[in-house]
Order: sequence, then C-alpha cells, then structure tokens
Amino acid sequence: MTISLNGVTKYFGRDLVLDDVSDDVPQGSLTALLGPSGSGKSTLLRIIAGLEPLNSGHIELGGRDVTNVAVRDRRIGFCFQDYAPFRQLSVFDNVAYGLKVQRVPKAQLRREVDDLLSLVRLEAFANRYPRQLSGGQRQRMALARALAIKPEVLLLDEPFAALDAQVRGELRSWVRELQHELGITTILVTHDQIEAMEIADRLVILNEGRIEQVGTPDTVYDKPANDFVQGFLGPMTVLNGVACRPHDIELCDVGLGIDARVTDVVRLGFEVRVVVQTSSGESSWVQLTHAEAQRRSPFIGEHVSLRVRTTADLFR
Amino acid sequence: MILRVVVLLYVGALVGLPLVFVFQQALIHGLGTFFRALGDHQMDTAMILTAKVALIAVPLNVLFGVGVSLWIVRHPSWLTRAIDTLIDIPLAISPIIIGLVLELAYAQNGWFGSGLAALGWHVMFSLPGIVMASIFVSLPLVSRQVIPLLREMGNHQEQTAATLGAGPVRIFCTITMRSITWATAYGVSLTLARVIGEYGAVLIISGNIALVTQTLTLNIGANFDNFNDYQGFVGAALLALASIVLLLILGVARHRERKRHDYLA
Repeated sequence: MTISLNGVTKYFGRDLVLDDVSDDVPQGSLTALLGPSGSGKSTLLRIIAGLEPLNSGHIELGGRDVTNVAVRDRRIGFCFQDYAPFRQLSVFDNVAYGLKVQRVPKAQLRREVDDLLSLVRLEAFANRYPRQLSGGQRQRMALARALAIKPEVLLLDEPFAALDAQVRGELRSWVRELQHELGITTILVTHDQIEAMEIADRLVILNEGRIEQVGTPDTVYDKPANDFVQGFLGPMTVLNGVACRPHDIELCDVGLGIDARVTDVVRLGFEVRVVVQTSSGESSWVQLTHAEAQRRSPFIGEHVSLRVRTTADLFR
Repeated sequence: MILRVVVLLYVGALVGLPLVFVFQQALIHGLGTFFRALGDHQMDTAMILTAKVALIAVPLNVLFGVGVSLWIVRHPSWLTRAIDTLIDIPLAISPIIIGLVLELAYAQNGWFGSGLAALGWHVMFSLPGIVMASIFVSLPLVSRQVIPLLREMGNHQEQTAATLGAGPVRIFCTITMRSITWATAYGVSLTLARVIGEYGAVLIISGNIALVTQTLTLNIGANFDNFNDYQGFVGAALLALASIVLLLILGVARHRERKRHDYLA
C-alpha cells in the first residue's frame, strides 16, 4: 500500500514541528525517516498512524484519504521504541490481541498466532510474560503482534535503539529480510545514519520539521542536496576551504597536492585517522583503510601532500 | 538494636496496648455478655447505617478516583493540575471543618441547601449528607494510589491496543484496568477504613440522632458519653476487628503490588 503525505504541518503549542512535509512512499518499500533528535521524525510517524492529530495537510493510504480516520480503523502495524508489551498478558495473548478484537474464531486464532510466533522465532515462549523476555525477544513479539492484524503498512519507531550493539545488528538484517519477504510497505524512524543506509531502500532526511532530501542511500550519500545532508550522513572535513569526506582525501607524493604535516595518527582497528595541518594552517583529517595505513605507515611530523580523489581516480 | 527496641516500644505503647485494652475491656464480662451486647439494637442500627454509607461511598469514590486519575495523567492541562492539588484538600483539612463547610453549603438555609430543600432534597441530618461527608474525607485515597502507577505505565500500551483495532472500553478493561487493579484494591481498603472510621465530619452533618443518623463511630462516642462504657468498648472492638481484617487485605494487596513491580525491571 502506498503512503502519501501532502503538506503535513504540525504545531506543538507555538512550535512548528513539521513544516509542509510531502512525500510519496511507494508500495513495498522500506523507507527510513532519518534525522537528528527534534527533527520531527517520530511525530510524523505518529501522525501517519493516527496517534497524533495534524494541523493541516492530509494523508492517504493506498489512495484513500485517512486524515480523519481514527487510529483503530487505519489497520496500521505500529511498534513503539519501548515495544509497549502488554505487561499483564502472556506472549501468546499479546500477539492474539488484535485477532481477538476482530473476533477471529478460536481455532483459527490459535493457528495464526502459532504461525506468527514461529515467524518471529518465539514458539517456545508463548506462555511467558514480557518481563521474562530479553529486549530483542520483546521487539520480535511486538512485531508479531503488529503483523497479526495483517496491516498493509508497518511503522517502526526507533526499532533498534533500545538494544545492545550485537542484537541490533542481527535484528536489523532479520527485519530487512522479513520486510522483503512480506513486501509490506514499511517506514522506520531512526537517528542512526548507518542503520538507515543499511536497512532502508529509501531515505527521507528530516531536519527541523522539513524534508531536506529524499532518495536511495547511494544517491543521498553521493549527491547530498546540501551541507546538512552531507554532514549528517557521514564524517566531514575541510580541505582547501572545500567540504569533503575524509575517505575521499588521499595522501599523494609531495608536490602533487596540498602540502601538510601530520599532527596525529588515531588507530581504530578497521580504519586509521590521520590528522593533518596544511601549510595554510587549516586542520583536516584523512581516513585510511587498515591496509592503506600499513602500506604508508604515516607518522607524526611527516610531511605529506593531500588531494581529493575524483571519480576518475577510481578507474585509473 | 536500640532502634528496634525504640520502634517496638513506640508502636507497642501507641498501637499495641490500646488495642489489647479495647479487646480486654470488651471481653471483661466473658464471651456470653459480649455476644449479648452485640445484639444491642442501637448499635446494630448504627452498624447497618455505617455499612450502607460504605456501600454507597466506596464505589462512588472508586469510580471518581480511577476516572479522575485517568484524566489527570492522560490529558494533563492547567485544569487537571489544579484538580490534582484540590483533591488533596480533604487530607489537609480537619474533618470537623469539612463537616462545618458542608453544613454551611447544604443546610436548609445554606447556599445550595435552600434550593435542594425546595426540590424536596434534604442533605443535612440524613443519609445523603453522611455519604457526602464520607466521600469528601476519603476523596484522594484511590487516586493517590492509582496516579503514580498510571504515570509509570505510560500510554504506549493503550495506543498500541488502539492501532490493533481496540476501542476505548476494551482498552480500558483489557489494558489499563489490569495494570491498576492492585493499586485500586489498595485504595479501596484505605477508603473503606476511612469511611467506616470517620467521626468529626459525620458528627456535624448527621446530627447524631440515635437509631436514625447515628453511625457506628458516633454510637461508640455516644455510649461513652452516656457512661455506657461497656457497650462502647464492644463497638470499639468491632471497629478494631474490621480494621485488622482490612489491614490484612491491604497487606496482601500491597504484597501483590510489590511483587508485580519487581517483575517490571
């Protein structure tokens, strides 16, 4: 199901939190609403779900205007950042909740819940209570509960923020696979640009309530529409007064680029950061891969020459 | 060690001894006399009135307490903040003053009383007045238990239920109420204890008419006033017994509540 946002505007009191936001989310896509905190991304997600009223604009789901349709009638799967497990209900009853509301016959309900539990690999936990689950398990339970009503749109608010790094990585790829498998139009909110680029096929970058850029992860990264997007999506530095990515700068033979002196070398395992000061006094840094760093072995005080890699260099 | 002794002495002298004394006095003439005294017509009538008042006041206060808690927590505004503060007034004001204020307002020549009297409603010296005073003095007891729990719970569970298609009534019954059951039960016990035990406010508004508007606490007071000490102690023993039973229920409720909280971490 497609999602259309047309001129969505929202105020909290006198604060404008969403300023004329419009976007068309294609059927079956996985879109990440990406932005720093306070950019309005979670509010936008809540507005799409119908959990928050909007001041102007309208929202269409699959061509139907749902701006004034109540939450309960939108049939949207929604997962909160804290997963909002129903604490007093077992895992089975959590997942069965939406089906009970629809008065699904008992045998069918049992079958559907069992299927969902095996989909999220929680078959063995049907009779447990949410407090007995780990964070990752709770998240999968919340996902199964949302999927139970067979929504055509899935909205996930910071789905991985509350998990530790390892579980986060596993769940990301699992959610991505699941989404591809089900083909359900999904929007997720995140402030983590790496997460967004890893999981989503479309990025909507929000800042201060406005959309800065929409596109595939590649387009947005390689052709950022403005300084904000460029700065937000990856590390930035300045060379000769021009903003660029530190991994686009290369160390070349003296005389071929901008003269500089190495002031620090920071080793982070997979990458090495070479901090430099150019002859004009500008401070900048270069990101080297582990292999590059081993080949060149830069040292503090070394005289180097820097230049920005151009696309042509890649084909040399 | 010293602290324990001090605590034991303190509680013993203030609570334990008087309580033992009440039962000792009530049973001083043996069980037979005690059971005969239980059949005292005036006391029984007073007891039934107290039960009636409790049966009306407690459910009303539970409805009010849960409702106002939901309003205060889920739809905060300047108005709910004002109400949140106002609700505590009955705890801060002496019951006798509550009685006087209610009399001022509802006596036949009072602010509302005259209008109500014209409609044939008499609040003073009757059941409605006693119920009103009982509700007033126990007003915040349920909401003070429920509000913190609702706050801690947040509204994400309820909102999730809404996205799953549930309507407000279903959400309240299946999600909200299940989370606040024990807190409400605790509030009910406190309210019940307060309503049964209330003296000052009820004394003023009821007029303390024996066999008509005399509640059990007023009956006990009247017996002591009339040098009928033994009957007074029997009534007091009954009230004390009711309190002990309530305390036990309360203890269970609190224990369940704490156990539930331990799980939540």
